[in-house]
Amino acid sequence: MLSIKNLTASINGTPVLKGIDLEIKAGEIHAIMGPNGSGKSTLGKVLAGHPAYEVTGGEVLFEGQNLFEMEADARARAGIFMGFQHPIEVPGVSNASFLRLAYNKKAEAEGRDELDPLEFDDFIHEKIKVVAMREEFLDRSLNEGFSGGEKKRNEILQMAVLEPKLAILDELDSGLDIDALRVLGDAVNKLQRADRALLIITHFPRILETIQPQFVHVLSGGRILKSSGKELAVELEERGYDWVMEEAAAGGAR
Amino acid sequence: MSTMVAGAAFAADLLSGPRPAEWKELREAAEARLAGRELPTMHEEDWKYLDLKPLAALRFGPAPKVAADISGRLLPEMVGTRQVFVNGRHASHASCTSAVPAGVRFFPLSAASEACHALGSVGAGDPRNLFEDLNAARFEDGAVILVPKNMKAALPLHLLFITSAEAPVAVFPRLLVVLERGSELELVEEHHGEGAYLTAPVIEIRVAEGAVLRHERVQRDSMEAFHLGTLRAEVAKGGQYHSRTLSFGARLSRQQPWLRLAEGVEASLDGLALLDGTQVADTHSFIHHAEPHSQSHQLHKCIVDGRARAIFNGQIRVAPRAQGTDAKQQSRNLLLSETARVDTKPQLEIYADDVKCSHGAAVGQLDPEELFYMQSRGLNADDARNLLTYGFAADVIAHVPVASLRRALRQLVMARTQASTLGDLS
Ligand SMILES: Nc1ncnc2c1ncn2[C@@H]1O[C@H](COP(=O)(O)OP(=O)(O)O)[C@@H](O)[C@H]1O
Ligand SMILES: [Mg+2]
Repeated sequence: MLSIKNLTASINGTPVLKGIDLEIKAGEIHAIMGPNGSGKSTLGKVLAGHPAYEVTGGEVLFEGQNLFEMEADARARAGIFMGFQHPIEVPGVSNASFLRLAYNKKAEAEGRDELDPLEFDDFIHEKIKVVAMREEFLDRSLNEGFSGGEKKRNEILQMAVLEPKLAILDELDSGLDIDALRVLGDAVNKLQRADRALLIITHFPRILETIQPQFVHVLSGGRILKSSGKELAVELEERGYDWVMEEAAAGGAR
Repeated sequence: MSTMVAGAAFAADLLSGPRPAEWKELREAAEARLAGRELPTMHEEDWKYLDLKPLAALRFGPAPKVAADISGRLLPEMVGTRQVFVNGRHASHASCTSAVPAGVRFFPLSAASEACHALGSVGAGDPRNLFEDLNAARFEDGAVILVPKNMKAALPLHLLFITSAEAPVAVFPRLLVVLERGSELELVEEHHGEGAYLTAPVIEIRVAEGAVLRHERVQRDSMEAFHLGTLRAEVAKGGQYHSRTLSFGARLSRQQPWLRLAEGVEASLDGLALLDGTQVADTHSFIHHAEPHSQSHQLHKCIVDGRARAIFNGQIRVAPRAQGTDAKQQSRNLLLSETARVDTKPQLEIYADDVKCSHGAAVGQLDPEELFYMQSRGLNADDARNLLTYGFAADVIAHVPVASLRRALRQLVMARTQASTLGDLS
């Protein structure tokens, strides 16, 4: 589904990603872990198409298409979704109307029927149950005044509405208490299917207890230093990241 | 007829017609102040950014009597609580007060007998601007609203000021609102029009102890109009005054709200201006925290496109005895073109020491992070921009209490921000 080859990218002229290789197939769940500042969010934003990041080399194919030939909105309509580490507040635009707009733009692109406000109302009421969101959050302005946890809930609601093929979730657990984490983790699991893939970006292994990846990659200094099965997450939980970096430095004269 | 009328002649010209008979003292005092007075120029600090030459270049005659077209202007919540003024005169056939809550008085000045001695007295002692004096000298009619002690008016009142001109005319709408102790009222004041005209409304408001006035103001004058409005409000101890001024129309407009807050008053003075083409909109506000423990909140937003220009000057004065004052002011401006322009200036005069005053001004484009967020959800760049621009404005009208007005304003904002293609955003 997603094939990343020797990807390099910089922000404001500073190289951040220094050669990433990653293959993600439909049905798989991958986790990218790593210390703060290692480039995790940058990878997510580059994949989602943030215009401030400059891709300086390598290639990314999404379902065989060159991702870098598509703008962020085209990528979204093609089925890429990024749950933001820090979702943006948009005063004056109600959450419900934004969700409907996003849903209809995707439906239009896929040649499906758009939903009118009443139809969407029924649709969204089923969806908010999945993330245990209270109805009043639909009428409020998009993310405005939401707590950190409420914003994350809203990100997963958007994911449930848009049903992406590839969801990249950046630090889903930040700002969430244990209960909310479980609810959202379960919601994400329910959305996972054989024709979809997940890329979980996280500093803390905690979330990987609920959303269990088959593959764990350690990113540091803009490179993937180690890739392994989910047992790596447990090891990182116990030992931290330093040993991975030391190991890489020791054997690292590629 | 001269093509270019000098400032002094500008006032003299407007005063050349007959003086209406009533309110003699008020008119004489205004005329005396107007004698020899010139149109303000940009050399005066208060008028630094607002060029009145286009106004001076026109000659305004008296407004003819015309029939009102109020179709499409009625709001269901207020069909029976409306007073309509056309070209400065009361339009009785277009008005309807059958649903005005018993006890509330809502009538044209022309029908006033007693009770209106307050006219011209709000903010007495403060210097009058030229347009305020012109209004006092030449207003033909206006509206009076009196809400008795402790009465909480169950329905909002609707005031429509409509101007319709084929040749340039000058109109001077007038409004006096008196809320007695502990009373409450919601008021919607709208200005509509077509053709080229000068409208110089004067709004006077007295909110007595513990009374609450919520005042929605909609300026949808014609794109050829000049709107130079003054609002004066005195709010007594523990009272509240909340106003929201939404400006869409007029070639050139200036709003001059003036508030005096007594002890423990809560006031808000919000504004939104949507400007395009060569429109110019100026807001010069003055909030006087005269006594201790009053609060004022001011959020002023402008969206400026084309070669339009917005001006904001927010003066806040905290008197020496006004300890415990809490004043917040925000001026936020969105520039949609390279030729659009905003001049914004806070002006805080704080003479007390135990106060909380904050102010902020922002002038800029849409936030790239917000745009990316929208695009990452599948909206193309144009839709994302239009939605965010809509949101910037809609934020100010989200809390307009009259549902049908709120809907109409949203539609208007959608149309003006090219967001109509995005479907229903309410
Ligand atoms: N807008 C930016 N301008 C400059 N440097 C940035 C910007 N965004 C990220 N960086 C830098 O890129 C590196 C990676 O950041 P990021 O991808 O956010 O890391 P992570 O998500 O792993 O904590 C950091 O050193 C960070 O300081
Ligand atoms: Mg990050």
